[in-house]
Amino acid sequence: MRRKSRRGSDEANIDMTPMLDIVFILLIFFIVTATFLQEEGIDLTPPPESDQPPPPDAPPPIFVQVSNENRVFVNRDATAESRVMAAVSRIRAEQPNSAVVIEVSQEAEHGTIVRIIDELRANSIPVSISRAGEAQ
Amino acid sequence: MARRQSRVMSDGEEPQLDMTPMLDVVFILLIFFIVTAVFVKEPGADIIRPETVTQDRVKPTLLVAVTSNDEIFVDGDVYELNQLRNIFEQLREENPRAEAMIQGDEGAPAGTVLDVQELLLDMGIDVTISTRED
Repeated sequence: MRRKSRRGSDEANIDMTPMLDIVFILLIFFIVTATFLQEEGIDLTPPPESDQPPPPDAPPPIFVQVSNENRVFVNRDATAESRVMAAVSRIRAEQPNSAVVIEVSQEAEHGTIVRIIDELRANSIPVSISRAGEAQ
Repeated sequence: MARRQSRVMSDGEEPQLDMTPMLDVVFILLIFFIVTAVFVKEPGADIIRPETVTQDRVKPTLLVAVTSNDEIFVDGDVYELNQLRNIFEQLREENPRAEAMIQGDEGAPAGTVLDVQELLLDMGIDVTISTRED
């Protein structure tokens, strides 16, 4: 053993194996932590404000209001959360292409808003969100 | 046969594998993963997310939670709405391409969620609202 290492010492040989072990462990750590977390989400961003007035022949929007007590109104008629879709499609049968504007009160429940928007979007009805008390 | 021949050629010594090219590759991989590593700070609040049918898959790097008690959690701490801008600025410095996600509890006040969203949009950060699959 000794003789052999002495004989090979004309070229300085560093044993790379421990370093390789460490580098591999680091590599595995970073690969594992790099699993980019994927989450599900919806876009609740309000549409950008425009200075242009809506075209005069645009159908009037349908207002869905959610009050501070989490009660839902469609064009000022009280409804249940689960029946918003039915009420909106009834109105849209008379005024096709009407968009829906959801007016959110400060204390309304987040889950209610998300579920209403989701249900309307799933039926490909354009929805935008606005906050109660803001000038329309 | 071939093996035997090569052994003879290498002066009868033990066959030595040259590790250097592999080391190069491993180092490049290591540097790549170190550079791209983004550590997401979980808000650390228990949130029941609303169920939806429509949803997008996003890869957020900045998580904010709003609980049903109207508390705002970022990285394990509760903050007031007026403190959030500073926190977001700090987090954005760590990761300039930040994309935010708000984890709102089903019972959270929608106004607070929208306040946080407005703040993030005002800072030029994209926002999505966290949901779960129905």
